[in-house]
Amino acid sequence: MHSRLILVAFLVASVPLTACRREQPPPPPPPAEETTEETTQPQQPDDDNDAAAERARAIAEARSILEERVHFPFDESTITPETEQLLLQKVEVLQASPNVQLRIEGHCDERGSVEYNLALGNRRAEAVRQFLMDYGISGDRLQTVSHGKERPLAPESNETAWAQNRRAEFIVTAGGDQINPPS
Amino acid sequence: MNRRASWRSVLLLSVLLLPVGTAQAQDVERFPGVSLGLTYETRYQPPLAILPFTGRFGGQEVASRVEAIIARDLRYSNRFVIMDSLPANVVGEEVDYGLWDQMGVDWLLTGRVEGSGEGYVLVLELHDVVFREVADQGRFAIPRQESEHFRMASHIASDAVVWWAFEEPGMAASRIAFSRMGDDGNQELWMVDSDGENLRRITNFGTTTLSPDWSPDGRRVVYSSYKTGLPRVYELNLETGEERQVPAPRSGDYITPSYHPDGERVVFSVVGGGQSGLYTYNIAEGCCMESLTQSRWEDISPRFSPSGDRITFNSNRLGLGVPQIYTMSASGGQPQLVSPFIYGQPSYFTSPDWSAVGDRIAFHGRAERGQPYQILVAEVGGGNNRVVQLTFTGRNEDPSWAPDGRHLVASGERSWGRGLFVVDAVTGNVRQLLTGVRAQVPAWSPSLAPRVEQQLRTTSH
Repeated sequence: MHSRLILVAFLVASVPLTACRREQPPPPPPPAEETTEETTQPQQPDDDNDAAAERARAIAEARSILEERVHFPFDESTITPETEQLLLQKVEVLQASPNVQLRIEGHCDERGSVEYNLALGNRRAEAVRQFLMDYGISGDRLQTVSHGKERPLAPESNETAWAQNRRAEFIVTAGGDQINPPS
Repeated sequence: MNRRASWRSVLLLSVLLLPVGTAQAQDVERFPGVSLGLTYETRYQPPLAILPFTGRFGGQEVASRVEAIIARDLRYSNRFVIMDSLPANVVGEEVDYGLWDQMGVDWLLTGRVEGSGEGYVLVLELHDVVFREVADQGRFAIPRQESEHFRMASHIASDAVVWWAFEEPGMAASRIAFSRMGDDGNQELWMVDSDGENLRRITNFGTTTLSPDWSPDGRRVVYSSYKTGLPRVYELNLETGEERQVPAPRSGDYITPSYHPDGERVVFSVVGGGQSGLYTYNIAEGCCMESLTQSRWEDISPRFSPSGDRITFNSNRLGLGVPQIYTMSASGGQPQLVSPFIYGQPSYFTSPDWSAVGDRIAFHGRAERGQPYQILVAEVGGGNNRVVQLTFTGRNEDPSWAPDGRHLVASGERSWGRGLFVVDAVTGNVRQLLTGVRAQVPAWSPSLAPRVEQQLRTTSH
């Protein structure tokens, strides 16, 4: 948790300076916001590109945090400690990106029946949604759907494949061009 | 059939049937509280001989094809001992009852195909060898071989023979719809005739489509599909291609639909959004969404009883992570547990289907984790609740009753491969319907005879 807070502090300090530039990339017209006027020094194109590249990298990382899969124990929709860590990172990105909406897809391994696994996959997606809502993310931004066991990642019939297939996936359904790194 | 219980039946029972029963009692996993065995009392299977069909006025060109379809249907009915390889000298116009009686035959089937207008007429006679008379006869319109109804018209005649002999419905004139996974990971609806012929695709949605169920008139199927990215319930008219959607006024996954016996309403599950439950919707009128159950647990896979006054479904409402089978009044109320749940046992039971004949609910399950799924049948009529285990080998899932109320289709796996299997609840006989296909959630149609007969009339007149 400490390292995460440090990361947040770093991002809070550095990111807003360039946040507005993403919308209106260089060359000018200069951004209208006062903060930009006050804090941005005249920059060389190289610095500008560096900042833009850093910004792009941070956005890409935020997107991959949003889209990273989480996994579940056999026949359960329990949020494990590992899953909790991943979901807390998503909370930060979602808080920084109010226009982003997610579809949470619940998946199961091949054991269990077709139709009951649809229910179980939904419980998983709902458990994730509830977790994110408990951290203040509006339920309106979070849609759930279950794919049961019908979309396996790994086709094999062994423990490794089953563990891989018991998962929730995250699809950005709106605001994909407005993802911000945690602030 | 009591009048036919001759000394022959006693002999056959003792010789053929008892060894089957003892073999099944061995080396199988048991469900606590579940008896092994078959759904019905074991019955005498009367020997039936089929004479080679004859033809007149051009009918000879299809006579042997029609005969082959009917002979196989009657074998698949598991109701007769079919006599093949008949001696050449018995073929003739006159039926010698004395000869057939000596050969131990109870029933004799003769058929004649006559050319008629655009198609043919099949004249069938079922002879009662014991009473030395024609027990019943009928004339059946058979279209040309190129017609899509050629085989189904022959199946209708097969079901008539079953009715003549037993006064019970057959299942030859029917189809099985199911979801089939393609190499792209999508699942489309397919169907196949009851004899494993005529395999063909119904949908081409390019997504996951699951849980088909047939309307009582056999003209429509209802299913759930991810066409919009979210599972929603749709109905497809197989004759017109028209598709209707059940509206989704609240969020959640709309899954596992099936028809009310009135053919107008569908019942389905909405899962997610904090509350799950069963709903009905009148898809014929496009109105009247009604809630049957509402809870934080999932009630899924609902099926009406034949009268429509009760419903069976699957639920994890015990809260123990092991779904069970329940029945409930169709107007809601307190559900009753049907599956053989024992507290502390991780027994898992899903996918109920209520037989159209008799108060029987088939489902699949396992007693312990890691065990393959087997089919069980619960008898829910008359206050008793006996459960029997029907299958013992391989994996068997998602049973669906045939219109004859004794056969079930299930998806499954054997040592030699996976596919769809047909299990006879009377004899325990298992037949492979389709192999080498990734088929699941099969649904057996009602008898398609009324629908096909109507189409034959409209096309031939």
